[in-house]
Amino acid sequence: MTATIRPSFRQKLSAALAETWLRLLNISRYPGQLALEIIIPIVFAAMPMLLGRATAGANAAANFQANTGTSNYVAFLLIGSNTFTIVSSAFWHIAYWLRFEQETGTLESIYLTPTTSMTLAGGVALYSVVRGLTSALLAYILGCLIFRVDPFAGDVLLALLFILIGLIPLYGVAFLFGALVLKVKESNALVGLMQWVVSFLMGIFYPVAVLPPLVRLLALLFPPTWMVNGVRSALLGMGFFFGKWYLDIAVLMAFALSVPLLSFWAFNRVEQGVKRNEGMGEF
Amino acid sequence: MLTGPAAWFSALAAMARKELTIMLRYPVEFVASFAQVFIVVIVLTLAGLMFSRGGARPSAANSPVAGLVVYGFILFLFLSDTLWNIGYNIRREQKQGTLEQLYMSPASKFASLVSRISLTLVWMGLASVIVAVAMSAMIGRLPFANLPLGVFLLVMALSGTFGTGFAFAALTLRVRETAQTVVNLVQFSFMVVCAPFFPFSALPMWLRYVSYALPLSYAVDSFRSTLMGYPPGFPELAPIGVEIVIVTAFGLLMPGLGYWLYRQEEDRARRRGSLSEY
Repeated sequence: MTATIRPSFRQKLSAALAETWLRLLNISRYPGQLALEIIIPIVFAAMPMLLGRATAGANAAANFQANTGTSNYVAFLLIGSNTFTIVSSAFWHIAYWLRFEQETGTLESIYLTPTTSMTLAGGVALYSVVRGLTSALLAYILGCLIFRVDPFAGDVLLALLFILIGLIPLYGVAFLFGALVLKVKESNALVGLMQWVVSFLMGIFYPVAVLPPLVRLLALLFPPTWMVNGVRSALLGMGFFFGKWYLDIAVLMAFALSVPLLSFWAFNRVEQGVKRNEGMGEF
Repeated sequence: MLTGPAAWFSALAAMARKELTIMLRYPVEFVASFAQVFIVVIVLTLAGLMFSRGGARPSAANSPVAGLVVYGFILFLFLSDTLWNIGYNIRREQKQGTLEQLYMSPASKFASLVSRISLTLVWMGLASVIVAVAMSAMIGRLPFANLPLGVFLLVMALSGTFGTGFAFAALTLRVRETAQTVVNLVQFSFMVVCAPFFPFSALPMWLRYVSYALPLSYAVDSFRSTLMGYPPGFPELAPIGVEIVIVTAFGLLMPGLGYWLYRQEEDRARRRGSLSEY
């Protein structure tokens, strides 16, 4: 007769933190890659900035204000590109974790350990938050300093609150995406496409108001849209979707409660299906 | 060695078919790459339009911005794929352990290198046409002039980057995995110095001197200026006659130089027995 020992919360936490530490240790071996993660969002935001300045000349700020609600286009674009970094990190790290374990043949072994895939995924998510958030904050501050804009103007604490609450549904969506990778397996193509779909929907360099009505509705069902608009409104005073910050936060909270539940359910279903059919080892 | 045009084309067709077979095995990637191109152009164009008077509403005033972004992006797509794909495929053969066997066969090495990007070029060509049509429908008609000269400049620019791609393949044989980092850095620098997404006038003067030194900058400038019908201020780096000469020289000379470099490095790898090392 065999008895299944269920790990305690403390043991699960220890496993998740070990996974986080392993990944942080691994990435610390590649300082060049970390430096690039800070530089890329700045250059990315600089593209439309340079285009706008060159085509609109002295009217760049005025035109931008008329179209978006703020003349501070430097901060607007940097917030967009850095939120995009946080969102991309979530998708890449969760999807790439699964795919890497599949390709190296260790995913099946993980499922034989007494911990659960969700515990380890939680560890990966924590690592992803630390890495993505650190890069984004440093890139935002550095970008603002390079383009001579005050990075701490506006309500910084409220902006951080939007980010922190927004991270919960964001990783929920990333797990949903992880389930898709588990099923379809082509993670690189899916993540590559997904990060651009996300950037399009959340209004990385423009307000979602410029999108056609149906696409705008779709964008509003997507938590990062609320996150990026909340941060912009807190720092640049552009206006929350519902007029008041606490109403927008309430919507993000609703996402934070519902999206993780939906994604855990979907992930478990896909996981069970894969186990029953081709098995976790196939890629 | 199989010689003659018939053998060369036969080898090219066989290798291109092999690449197509691999490509078709990953249908999601196939479709995703297409959709990705489309979304990137929309995102960048909308970003540029936030600085224009009329915003994102379809208007004739949007044409210059859309032209800059769409034509710049099309050239960027072609050039970045051509630049890296040859070296990337060589690296893949090395990793799979099939590069040495490939070199034991009597097939043309040149055809082998060209086959790596022939499909990508067809695919990107199709994607570019659809992107241009879709963007015209969404934000107003794209400026579209001097098509024959535009195609000539595109072909010359591609030929030049083919040559640069051969040189990168040589670098791949020499430095192996580090080549990926070098290429990332080059692509990243290209996005800034060759200004595919904004006019050169947006660059600070010291950086513009770097642009003046690169034939690819002239390729970007002449290609988009020609298709946009030379609006005031374009081309930005030199008179169009001079730019055409530079791009043509780049297209004619670089493939020979790049292939020579590749053969040198290949001979070196054969002598050292490092062809299959990775």
